[in-house]
Amino acid sequence: MNTDGILPPDKAGRFLKKYMMEAILLFLCAILAFKAQNFFSTDNLLNVLRNVSMQGIIAFGMTMVIISGEIDLSVGSAVAFSGCVTAYLTQMLASGGASMPVAIWVSIICTLILGLMVGCFTGYIRMKFQVPTFITTLAWMTALSGAAELITNGFPLTPFPEWYNFLGGGYVFGIPFPAIVFVAVFSAVHFVMNYTSFGRSVYAVGGNMEVARLSGIRVHVVKIGVMGAVVFLASLSGIMQSSEIMSGSPTTAKGWELDVIASVIIGGTSLMGGAGTVKGTLIGVIFLGVLVNGMTLMNVNEYWQHVVRGVLILLAVLLNRVQFRKNQS
Amino acid sequence: MLEISNLRKEYPGTLALDDVSVSFSAGSVHALLGKNGAGKSTLVKILAGATQPTSGRIYVDGRETKLRSPLDAFRQGIAPVYQELSILPELSVGENIFVGRLPKKKGTGGLVIDWPQLFETANSVLQDMQVSLDVRQKASELGVAQQQVVELAKAMSFKPSVLLLDEPTSALAHHEVNRLFSLLRMLASRGVSIIYITHRLHEVHEIADKITVLRDGKHIGTILAKDAAPATVVKMMFGEIPSREKSVEELKKRETVMEVRNFRREGRFSGVNLNLYKGEILGIAGMLGSGRTELVRAIFGADPVESGEIKIGGTLLRSFTPASMKRLGVAYASENRKEEGLAQLLSTRLNMCLASYDKVSRNGFLTRKMEAGVVRRFVRELDIKISDAEQSISHLSGGNQQKVLLAKWLNTNPGVILLDEPTRGIDIQTKQQIFQIMTDLGRSGISIIFVSTELEELLEVCHRILIMKKGNIVGEVRPAEISADELFVLCMEQ
Repeated sequence: MNTDGILPPDKAGRFLKKYMMEAILLFLCAILAFKAQNFFSTDNLLNVLRNVSMQGIIAFGMTMVIISGEIDLSVGSAVAFSGCVTAYLTQMLASGGASMPVAIWVSIICTLILGLMVGCFTGYIRMKFQVPTFITTLAWMTALSGAAELITNGFPLTPFPEWYNFLGGGYVFGIPFPAIVFVAVFSAVHFVMNYTSFGRSVYAVGGNMEVARLSGIRVHVVKIGVMGAVVFLASLSGIMQSSEIMSGSPTTAKGWELDVIASVIIGGTSLMGGAGTVKGTLIGVIFLGVLVNGMTLMNVNEYWQHVVRGVLILLAVLLNRVQFRKNQS
Repeated sequence: MLEISNLRKEYPGTLALDDVSVSFSAGSVHALLGKNGAGKSTLVKILAGATQPTSGRIYVDGRETKLRSPLDAFRQGIAPVYQELSILPELSVGENIFVGRLPKKKGTGGLVIDWPQLFETANSVLQDMQVSLDVRQKASELGVAQQQVVELAKAMSFKPSVLLLDEPTSALAHHEVNRLFSLLRMLASRGVSIIYITHRLHEVHEIADKITVLRDGKHIGTILAKDAAPATVVKMMFGEIPSREKSVEELKKRETVMEVRNFRREGRFSGVNLNLYKGEILGIAGMLGSGRTELVRAIFGADPVESGEIKIGGTLLRSFTPASMKRLGVAYASENRKEEGLAQLLSTRLNMCLASYDKVSRNGFLTRKMEAGVVRRFVRELDIKISDAEQSISHLSGGNQQKVLLAKWLNTNPGVILLDEPTRGIDIQTKQQIFQIMTDLGRSGISIIFVSTELEELLEVCHRILIMKKGNIVGEVRPAEISADELFVLCMEQ
């Protein structure tokens, strides 16, 4: 028994338990290093990083949402929607006589604010009318997707100049720009969740909303905040996505919400709320990215890729549950 | 006919039942009385098969038997009806009565429910009890009293020889209680022995034939209800109370820190006024349903009130939220530690800092190190036993959890602490520690409102005790002037 009473009892066991997913990721990389040519080339690794960035940015926001005990199913549609809104506004402003840089920046800012408002609204009616976010965001999923079709008339809008491609396809010192945003968002969310009272309140609210309320935590601020944050990040991702494909396309990012939620869960966040880490999500995001990349390099049939992904997601979640149950007993 | 002999149940650290022998004869209503912690619920749990006695024998109709599980107890003819209703609101009355054993159509391999059969048998169970209820009605459409009847019907459908009733009237209105009683008498007249647990003394004389009193796990005596004067029963429940050696030291001066004026919430409490002085421990004594819990919750802003105002320091408030009360230095530790006090999923560290991030953090930023400092401080000051502050709090014992809950609020530097049943489910030693903490806090100038069903506890630590009954504060006593049984009678009187 430790005299100060707060040191862990069984360090080695805990270490392994704590870094289980990291170990599995390393194992996967080791296999790919032998089986898949070029896996460990700089180009390929940067490629993986770029591919995971867009979804990863959202996954960090989703981590906060799920820890707070909520869910957001609309992020895929929000990506498509915000890409389209950016394109639409740019086109409108440019044809109205604004210079291209002004038009683009104004559009980007408007899109981000719009995304924030959509998310906050979901959080607001969650708190005010007790509408589960599962339902509200399911509605948003359809509505935003439909709205994207509406403003684009179903066809990609292409008002962007060449330089706009930098946001989604550019490099800074050889590193893809989205990857830089990815790292920045990770750091920011990690910081918020671990070093601010807001972050701690997110855990408290997800752990037990009534306890949090009776502890004088302003629960509605937390819920509205995290719901706003995830759609904000989805909009950011949508803007970069529109830059990568140089258009606002209503059909992009279909089904992203599932990949995003999967990486959060693989990363060890509990769907029940109250438990999870942003670092875990980082691992989850990279795990999914490496898996897809590895299978593509190994020329695995695309249909098989889906099946393998599904099975591995299930296994990862099972592993987390078993660990969690052990922790509880 | 049910007989128990030398029944003994040990829990780690406590002896819940100490060689209890009672026989419950057929066809009579047998009241089981005792203070909290006297061993009533342990006895009920054993008889319902929910827990096993450490030693001792149980005889049903003269045969010795073991009650290995609730199902086993049912089979032996013992059917419990608990205080909390276990009604499934969206199902029909009939389904509720036969839940888990719905009749199946023959020849379907037990897969298809035989609805006509279900409703017919449910109907006959109810008719047998001489009550009329529509067996097809949804349970949620019934009132509480009718739901209670459904619960009884469920128990009766097992054709029990012993019916265990644990505080069945706590949610019922007066006329509903009468209906329940006539139902119970009817059942008793058919030879069912009824064991009736209650804390409402006046009911006992109305319904019971015999009274058995438990105290500290011991069988104190069984007497005929018609011979039992209330004073005798109270004496049996409380025993000879040794006069307290240490008395609470008086407040040096009365400086009001909080004033509650005209607090009213429909159906819960009305016209409540109270003053709390600096450094005072103010007790609120009252039975279940007296509105004591609702009152402290309302003071903290956890529930809305129709009218009322609070003056704290110099600030006059008319609307209250937990967040605003916390800012004014009010803390609230719920009686419901597991659901409302601490987030069971989260670690000790997170729980302890939950209410005080503004104090723990600097400019809104905090590190684990800063939180760990808080944990270390209270682990030392409150003598909390933990092996790992990162483990979820559900690993801790009730007593340690209670201390973490206290620590959580102490870290907000409160001026007023509302403590609702802080000693529930806690061993004696920790109880004493908590009283010591409360006394120390009082001395340091923090005021406490202390709600407890354990009247001796109130007498031990409070400066003043308010008596609450049916949503009103009906009296004020000083611990030095009153004994626990007198206080009990004051809380009970009609």
